[in-house]
Amino acid sequence: MTKYVIRRLLQAIPVVIGITIVTYALMLAAPGGPAQKFANNPRMTPAAKEKFLKAWGLREPIPVQYGRWMGLLNPDEDGIAAFLGPSGWPNFLPTGISGADNGILHGDFGYSIDSGEPVGSRIARAALPTVILAGFALFFWLLIAILMGVFAAIKRYSFFDQAATVFAYVGFAMPTFWLGLMLIFLFGVNLKWLPVSGMTETRLSPPFGSDAYWTYFGTTPLTALQDIGKHLILPVVTLVVVNIAGDSRFVRASMLETLGQDYVRTAKAKGLPNRVVYFRHALRNALLPVVTNIGLEIPFLFTGAIVTESIFSWPGIGKLTIDGIRNFDYTILMGVLMITSTIVVMANLLADIAYAFVDPRIKY
Amino acid sequence: MTEVLAAPGPVGAPPDRDVLLEVRSLRTYFKVLDGIVPAVDDISFSLKRGQTLGIVGESGSGKSVTALTIMRLLDIPPASIGDGSEVWFDGREILSMPLDEMRKIRGNDAAMIFQEPLTSLNPVFTIGDQIAEQVELHLKIKKRAAMDRAIESLQLVGIPSPERRVKQYPHEMSGGMRQRVMIAMALSCEPKLLIADEPTTALDVTIQAQILELLKSIQQRTGSALLLITHDLGVVAEMVDNVIVMYTGQIVEQGTVHEVLLEPRDPYTMGLLESIPSVEKRGGRLSAIKGVVPSPFNLPPACRFEPRCPYAWDRCRTVPPDLNRVGSGGHLARCHLHTSEGAGRLPDALQRHRTALNLGRTLPTGGH
Ligand code: SF4
Repeated sequence: MTKYVIRRLLQAIPVVIGITIVTYALMLAAPGGPAQKFANNPRMTPAAKEKFLKAWGLREPIPVQYGRWMGLLNPDEDGIAAFLGPSGWPNFLPTGISGADNGILHGDFGYSIDSGEPVGSRIARAALPTVILAGFALFFWLLIAILMGVFAAIKRYSFFDQAATVFAYVGFAMPTFWLGLMLIFLFGVNLKWLPVSGMTETRLSPPFGSDAYWTYFGTTPLTALQDIGKHLILPVVTLVVVNIAGDSRFVRASMLETLGQDYVRTAKAKGLPNRVVYFRHALRNALLPVVTNIGLEIPFLFTGAIVTESIFSWPGIGKLTIDGIRNFDYTILMGVLMITSTIVVMANLLADIAYAFVDPRIKY
Repeated sequence: MTEVLAAPGPVGAPPDRDVLLEVRSLRTYFKVLDGIVPAVDDISFSLKRGQTLGIVGESGSGKSVTALTIMRLLDIPPASIGDGSEVWFDGREILSMPLDEMRKIRGNDAAMIFQEPLTSLNPVFTIGDQIAEQVELHLKIKKRAAMDRAIESLQLVGIPSPERRVKQYPHEMSGGMRQRVMIAMALSCEPKLLIADEPTTALDVTIQAQILELLKSIQQRTGSALLLITHDLGVVAEMVDNVIVMYTGQIVEQGTVHEVLLEPRDPYTMGLLESIPSVEKRGGRLSAIKGVVPSPFNLPPACRFEPRCPYAWDRCRTVPPDLNRVGSGGHLARCHLHTSEGAGRLPDALQRHRTALNLGRTLPTGGH
């Protein structure tokens, strides 16, 4: 098992590096760039624009930019000398040896081209809202999907099963942005029961994540939590409705297959009550494939829902990504992609390990 | 997966005390896309306490469905049970019983062993858990005591070092071992009736013999009744006192194992016996029953074996044969040869059967 995990971790390294190379190349190859935001600014002279691009190193060839971002190249040198860090050792070696502190290899994600804020702290600030939103959404949609799938399978072709099928397909077919807007329109604008957007009531509290906010949170935590809770409802409902479909269908199919297995008949022949037959003997087996699925959905906790976060102006990773794309904020985007792809690879590994725990037949 | 059972109406009087299982005019149907298929068509038989009964038939003869109906393990719908069907077990009618009552019988007084030892055990629980769970439920004892009981039953079925085996998962065992586990599980609550549905079909020949030997010795030791379902006449010959032969959901012959295997009186049984390879028939050609089992949607109008029967004549195509008494005891055969109309043809048929058995020659078929 340990050997297997180590092998998988080693395999993950080239995968993540490959992903960064491809995304970096594609991103920089796309037309437009960070300087575009000055397009309508009459006071921005071509010379000033050029200076801006030079300062951010955006005039360098793409491989050089990538090398600097990665920490392979020393940004203060040109040509071959760039491979060496300030101390004369190769730049990619740990800071203690090479003296270099730039790039991913040295734990430096750079600065946001748009705001100048360090990318690491910008992402960290967006992570908490996403974990809160995605965590609640994932919890509810899995809970509801599993229950719905199991009962639909047990009562196959019943009214409940058919209603669940219709609900699942309607949810599946409904575009996220449309559902989100409809919910905002109904509960936020018309009925005025729930806030329209954001994570906190900005008139009452400092912006979420700032130091002032945490001071405010410390003095009236209940009010603060209540406020966040109210803002959570609509985006969570949107995510749940849209995502239940796939998982509940999956659980239903898996449960149906399990219910037809010989060991379920054996369990019945032993005189076990239905509750035990379904929820001990069948469900345990039916959830085996679902475990893998859940493993693949865990990265969502971090990557967030781009569309939902944007519609509800939820200050999370999804919104950060969209804003990054809009502003050609390469460093932010690369930072998000880097962390996301690492989490996806890790979640895959975690799902495989979890599988070995729940299914005694699997040995690595 | 509903298990609602329409009560099959008012029931008759219970059978004698010494009869453990009595099945009366049992009919089981399946609703399929094209209509309703009668899988079990008016079957009656009884099994005394401690005795053994074999049900023989090809696949599709309704023998497994009979067993599943008795255990009430069929999903209703698509299955349905005909009005007037009765199954008496240990003095109680069990088809009309609430399912909760039936669950107290299942695995406790009546246990069942299935054909596929590889898939009949739950892959994610240990052997010990799976046996103990049943013991805990029926004998109402603590988990610890139930686990001890599980170890005892594994010992009973000849599994070495059972203390270690209870902690294993099914996939860590061979097919033969798993079938022993299934038997141990079935016996764990000392059932009065053990139903074994093709218990050895999925196993190697050598393992088959061991498992049969085990079943027989345990049945004799514990005194439980055995209902053995198989397609294998050889298994029947070794294991049971009485035999029922089924064809397309009906009983076609019924009697002691001696009567049915040595003096068969139904052409279908005769055909089955003729198609068994044996030492005496060495050199001769093996005769098989010609044709195939008819589709349940398209059964012959009168005698259902008529298209394949070498002795059929006009009457067989117009009048459905009854189960006729043959000889003096309880030997029955569903064939017109045993009525006054067919009596004249009987000696010839028996002669041809004997010839086929001795010489193994395929005989020209008559009656067509
Ligand atoms: S009734 Fe006729 S067709 Fe049917 S088994 Fe007897 S002889 Fe054959």
